[in-house]
Amino acid sequence: MDDLEQKFLQLSWKLHPDIFVNLTEREKEISLERSSKLNDAYRVLRDPVANVEYLLELEGMRKEGEHKQQAPPELLEEVFELNESLDELREARSAGANLDVLTGKLRDAETNFGEKLHEVDAELKTAAQQWDAALDADASDSDREAILQRLNELLNRRSYIRNLVAGVEKELTGAAS
Amino acid sequence: MGRIVGIDLGTTNSLVACVDAQAGQPKCVTGPYGSTLCPSIVSLDPDGSVIVGEAARRRLLTQPERTIYSVKRLMGRGPADVQNELALFPFRIDPQSKNVIRVMLGDKVFTPPEISAFILRELRSWAQAELKEPVDRAVITVPAYFNDAQRQATKDAGRIAGLEVLRLVNEPTAAALAYGLHEKQRGHVAVYDLGGGTFDISILKLISTSEGDIYQVLSTNGDTHLGGDDIDNFLQAFVHHRVLQNGSFDFSASAESTQELRKSLIALKHDLSEKDSALLRFPLPNGELFTHEFSRAEFEKIIQPIVARTMSPVKQALADAHLAPAAIEEVVLVGGTTRTPLIRRTVQDFFGRNPHIDLNPDEVVALGAAVQANILERGVSNMLLLDVTPLSLGIETYGGAVSKIIPRNSTIPASAQEQYTTGVDNQTGIDIHVLQGERELAKDCRSLARFTLKVPPAPAGLPRIEVAFLIDANGILQVAAKDLRTGEQHSIEVQPSYGINDTEIERMLEESIEYAEQDFAERQLIEARTESEAILAATAKAFNNSQSADLPADERANIDAAIAALKASATGTDYKQIRKRIDDVNHATEHLAELLMNSAVSTALEGRKLAEV
Repeated sequence: MDDLEQKFLQLSWKLHPDIFVNLTEREKEISLERSSKLNDAYRVLRDPVANVEYLLELEGMRKEGEHKQQAPPELLEEVFELNESLDELREARSAGANLDVLTGKLRDAETNFGEKLHEVDAELKTAAQQWDAALDADASDSDREAILQRLNELLNRRSYIRNLVAGVEKELTGAAS
Repeated sequence: MGRIVGIDLGTTNSLVACVDAQAGQPKCVTGPYGSTLCPSIVSLDPDGSVIVGEAARRRLLTQPERTIYSVKRLMGRGPADVQNELALFPFRIDPQSKNVIRVMLGDKVFTPPEISAFILRELRSWAQAELKEPVDRAVITVPAYFNDAQRQATKDAGRIAGLEVLRLVNEPTAAALAYGLHEKQRGHVAVYDLGGGTFDISILKLISTSEGDIYQVLSTNGDTHLGGDDIDNFLQAFVHHRVLQNGSFDFSASAESTQELRKSLIALKHDLSEKDSALLRFPLPNGELFTHEFSRAEFEKIIQPIVARTMSPVKQALADAHLAPAAIEEVVLVGGTTRTPLIRRTVQDFFGRNPHIDLNPDEVVALGAAVQANILERGVSNMLLLDVTPLSLGIETYGGAVSKIIPRNSTIPASAQEQYTTGVDNQTGIDIHVLQGERELAKDCRSLARFTLKVPPAPAGLPRIEVAFLIDANGILQVAAKDLRTGEQHSIEVQPSYGINDTEIERMLEESIEYAEQDFAERQLIEARTESEAILAATAKAFNNSQSADLPADERANIDAAIAALKASATGTDYKQIRKRIDDVNHATEHLAELLMNSAVSTALEGRKLAEV
């Protein structure tokens, strides 16, 4: 059990509404409010991506609903190819043609982008560690700003790739049925 | 204050359990018919009294228009949601129903929570008779995959029954609690719960800490309209089709034969859990006899789609818990439907280990509810349940899309805050639509509530209102708003899309007192008389059968004497005497019952009472 989980469980024993069920309405309200905050915090802290999103929100770098959906330049070629394959698949499906070759191609693309997603996750982890180190070292505002920028870019890239993968999955399940 | 009990309010059967103060072990309460199961069936007598459970089950055939079963399927749902079910369930929905379904029993109209409240009252009376203490609070279990409206409807049922509902506990979680207590097991546990009408899968982690044991739910999934009822429906459709093919009879024209057939098919289904084949012999109303030998293989082929439908929630729950099937150390089967061998095999193959079946699958949920009731009653405890919300909570945004604010499988209580402002000068209201579900568009999710946030007139963009959405430990939504400029709290009246409001609940509570709390002896008398009517009718029917001519004269005389004695005592008020005479008639007609079942089925039905044939 890691430190985070241990701390979460310890606080759950202190705050959970079950423990306050026979007490006053006021105490029940407080328990409900505090235990929901505890659970919200644990949900964010144990998920590395949610963690970074929350940090950027705190630092005013990222507002809700604001996600850049432009393709990262280095992926442009592959994205273009992918979209072409998706179009071909839709056409072939409406024409009732054999889809095996196309779905195979898309599966490869799915794997390829899945790997890229893992790469971004690893980069996010490194950047998050850099942020922690910068805080510990009391780094300058401009250094911190640079790390936050980097984190923001990585999150946008991640959300873009994730949408791509989800789109491919959706088409492939459509092809299978 | 009175005692707290644990109640499993099931689709087919309901149970009540409590923890014995001395032994410290949970135990289900046995009802007046000698069983811990109370059939979830309610019948409204023409004299206005309400009959619940076994006595009501007997009325399914004699008074189908005054009797209702499987009402749990209607909880928290709107009329449009249940159109598909109406073809297979003999619910009579009031055509005037708007958001909340209203069901007709005879000439009276009830909401599903009111009908469930009758069942809760019955169970409370069982518990009070056993404990010899008043019971005024309860922990009630719900399917883990129940949405907000279905949970709210269950809580409303408790209030209408005059019970304070201290907690709604998810059924698989309750089962894990009873099971964990029994086995002292730690680690990852999967609970596969297939009941009469609902399917749940929950993945839990059982953890020992220095303060005590924690039962942490990691993920849950399911289908609130999948269960043993569907097996019955598939079998029924199979027979309807066969019979119609022969051109002999159309079941859709006869509610009574549909009920009779359903009863035979349920018995057949139970037989097929034990045996390799079972014979259906069903006398059609047109005098023909329909027979069909079901092999286990044929049965499994018919129900295979139902079993298959349970597996995608299982896979999703594991994926959400970030676990592979092999990481599950224990598998627990809950719900009567898991007695089906095909289901046991399927679950066993998937997880690669033998599921636990040592606790009675019908009772385990009620036992767990009693454990949780006991924890809450004592206030301090060495056991803690951490459950999750089964569905994501979202709000509608531009273009009918949904923005998820609390993801599914978040530990509850959970909350999210959203800030709102105005788009035009002096705008006085902001419309908010709250939804539950995983789909991207609002129209594909379940609408929980719509409300208008009141805003004081101001230039556009100036107001700052923070709305807090909170899912409490029962999985029920609460909403509060705060004006961030003034710090003022706004109370929000959230009118649930598919719920009953507080005023209506108060009215129902008052009305229910009309029906409620008859003297125990009086209720016993009504039940005994109902049973006596049923057995007399069954005996009269039996004597009309040509097979009864084979009965020796002295036996016939014995039966006539027993019947006369029963008729005489049924006019009196001594329910114990009526019960004894019913037993006498049952005993005297044993041979007659055997004669009626011809040789082919006699082995299957040996030892059954006449009323069950």
